[in-house]
Amino acid sequence: MTTSPAPLTVRDVTVRFAGLTALDTVSFTVEPGSVHAVIGPNGAGKSTTFNVLSGVYRATSGSVHLGATELTGLAPHRIAGLGVARTFQNLALPPHATVAESLMLGRHRLTRAGFVAAGLRLPSATREARRHLERVREIAGFIGLDKELDFPAGALPYGKQKLVELGRALCMEPEVLLLDEPIAGMTADERRRTAAVVAGVRDSLGISIVMVEHDMGVVMRLADAVTVLDFGRRIAGGTPAEVQNDPAVVQAYLGAQE
Amino acid sequence: MSEATKDATAPAATAGAPPAAGTPFTGRLRRPAPYLWLAGSVLLLLFPFYLDRFWLQAGLFAMAAAIGAIGLNLLTGSTGQLSMGHAFFLAVGAYGYCVLAGESSTENGHALTGLGLPSWLAAVLAVLLAGAAGGLFSPIAGRLSGAYLGIATLALIFIGQHVLFNAGSLTGGFNGRPVPPLSLFGFTFDDAEVVVAAVPFQSSEKLWYLGLAALLAGGLFARGVLRGRPGRALNAIRDHRIAAGVMGVPVARYRAGVFVLSSMYAGLAGVLLALVFQRTVPEYFGMILSLEYLAMIVIGGLGSVAGAVIGAAFVSLLPQVLTHYSDSLPLVSAPGTGGIAPGEASRYLYGAAVVAVVLFLPGGIARLKTPGEKKK
Ligand SMILES: Nc1ncnc2c1ncn2[C@@H]1O[C@H](COP(=O)(O)OP(=O)(O)OP(=O)(O)O)[C@@H](O)[C@H]1O
Ligand SMILES: [Mg+2]
Repeated sequence: MTTSPAPLTVRDVTVRFAGLTALDTVSFTVEPGSVHAVIGPNGAGKSTTFNVLSGVYRATSGSVHLGATELTGLAPHRIAGLGVARTFQNLALPPHATVAESLMLGRHRLTRAGFVAAGLRLPSATREARRHLERVREIAGFIGLDKELDFPAGALPYGKQKLVELGRALCMEPEVLLLDEPIAGMTADERRRTAAVVAGVRDSLGISIVMVEHDMGVVMRLADAVTVLDFGRRIAGGTPAEVQNDPAVVQAYLGAQE
Repeated sequence: MSEATKDATAPAATAGAPPAAGTPFTGRLRRPAPYLWLAGSVLLLLFPFYLDRFWLQAGLFAMAAAIGAIGLNLLTGSTGQLSMGHAFFLAVGAYGYCVLAGESSTENGHALTGLGLPSWLAAVLAVLLAGAAGGLFSPIAGRLSGAYLGIATLALIFIGQHVLFNAGSLTGGFNGRPVPPLSLFGFTFDDAEVVVAAVPFQSSEKLWYLGLAALLAGGLFARGVLRGRPGRALNAIRDHRIAAGVMGVPVARYRAGVFVLSSMYAGLAGVLLALVFQRTVPEYFGMILSLEYLAMIVIGGLGSVAGAVIGAAFVSLLPQVLTHYSDSLPLVSAPGTGGIAPGEASRYLYGAAVVAVVLFLPGGIARLKTPGEKKK
C-alpha cells in the first residue's frame, strides 16, 4: 500500500433537521495518518458528523474535502470509492450472512465481477473471489475473528459483532477510517483487543482514523488530536492533554452529567 | 416410493463416514446427497415416457413458473424490492415471441402482424425485449424502495392489460394469438409425432426437455449471481440500505440492474408458457398472476433459488392436482356443478399456505429440508 493519505478537511459544516441544528459551522482537520477523536455529550452531533463525512446526510452548508477532492454532495458509494470506510454506532450487519460474507462485502469496491460474470461463474470472477477471500482471512486473523468466519454474524455476541463491523471497514482497504463508538458494549478483553487493532492499523497502514468514543482512557491513549462537540458546536480542539484541561470541555461534561 | 425410502435410509449409514465433511456449524452447507440429486434427475428425465399429457403440461407450467419465480425472488427476496408488475414482463416475453416469430396473417377477421423471424432467434429476442422493458422502467426501479416500488409497478399491470386488449394487430385482442412452435437446430417442438422407445412424443414431451434445460440454466445462473459479488450487494441493500451505500455499493444501479434481470427471467418464463399453452390470451397476464408469483416465493422461501422452485411447484401444481382429483375430494367439484371450482379452491389453499408460512415458517418451505440450520 503506497498510501500517502490526504488530509480530511471539514469546513463550516452546518446540518439542520426541521428546526433542529444538529451541527453548527463545525470545522476541523484530520491530519494524514493520525487518530482524531471526536467527543462530546449525547446528542452533540458526533454521529451526524460521520453521516456527513460518509455522504449519508447532506450538509445544509459548508464543505468536506479529502485532499483536493470535495466529498460534500457525493453519493455514499462514491465516497466509499475514494477510500473512506466507516462503522455504525448501532450495528448494521446482515443478520443471516456469515462473518466471511459480511467481510467480503467490504471488498465490493475493490472487485469487479458483475451479474454476467458471477452468473456464468466466469474464471475471472472465481479467481477474483478466491483472491479476495484470502485477504479477508488475513484481516479476520488480524482482528481475531478467524475462528468465527463461518458463523452467522448475527449469532455472535455484541462485542464480536462490533469487531466484524470494524473488520468489514478494514476490508475496504480504506485511506480514512471512521469509527463510531467502536468499543461501546464490549467486554474488557474485546476493548483491549480493539484498541490494539486501532493502534496497529494506524502504525502499520498509516491511514487516518476518526473515532467517536466516550471512553476517555482510550481517547487519551490513542488519539493524536481531539475535537469536542457540544450541542452541534465545536467547543474545543487540540491534543488530548489540552482538551482535558479546557474549562469549556469540563463545563460541557459536568453540565451533561448533572 | 420404494426408491425414496431406500434412499432415505442410506445417508444415515454413510453420512458419518467421511470425516472430511467436517464443517460442523454450517448447516447451510449440508445438502441432499449427490445420488438423491441423481435419482431426482433421472426421474425428471423419464417422466415424458410415463406421464400423460395432462401431467406433462402441469409440470411444464411449474417449470415456467419456477423460472419466473427465480427472477422475482432475485428482486423481492434477495433485494427487498417488491414488484407487482411481474405478470407484465411475462406478457412481454410471451407476446414478444409471438410477434417476432409469427407470420403476418388474418385470424377471425383480425389482421395479425408478425415478423416471421426464425423462432429460436425470436425466443432469444423476446427475453431481451422483456429485459429492455425492465430497463425502461429501471430509472423508477432504481429510485424507489420496497413497498413503494410495489405500488409503482401496479401501473405496469394496468398499462399491460390495456395494451394487450387493445393493440389488436400485435396481440390479437381478446382472443389472443396463436403461438408458433419453436424450432431449434432443425428440431421443431410441435405436435408432429416422433416415436421414441415406443412412446409417441408430441409437443409436451419435447418441450419437457427444453423446459428442464431452461430451468437448470436459469437456476444455476441465479445461484451464481447470489453467491457472488452481486448477490452480496443485493442482500446488503435489502438488509441495510444505508450501510450498503457506505460499503461502496451503488444502490440505485444495483436495484435497476436486478430489476432488468428479473424482467428477463419473467420474459423467459413467458416464452415457455406461450409454447406450452400454444395460444396467448390477455386476461392470463393480470394482477392475479403477479400475486401468484409473490405467493410462490413467500411459500417456497424468500431469497433462494430452491425456494422459488419449490414455491412455484406448489402454487402451480396445486390447481392441477385439485382438478384431477376433484371427483374424490370433498367440496371441490368441476366448475359449474355447485361445489368450489378447483382453481378457486387452490387459491384458498395457497392463500392459507401464505399465511401459515408467514406465521410459522419464516424462510419458507425451502428451510424445512435443513433442520440443522434452525436457530433459536
Ligand atoms: N435524521 C435525523 N432527523 C432528525 N434529527 C436528527 C437526525 N439525526 C440526528 N438528529 C438529531 O441531531 C442531534 C445530534 O445527533 P447525533 O446522533 O449526531 O448525536 P451523537 O453525538 O452521535 O450522540 P450519541 O452520543 O448519543 O450517539 C440529536 O439531537 C438528534 O436527535
Ligand atoms: Mg452517535
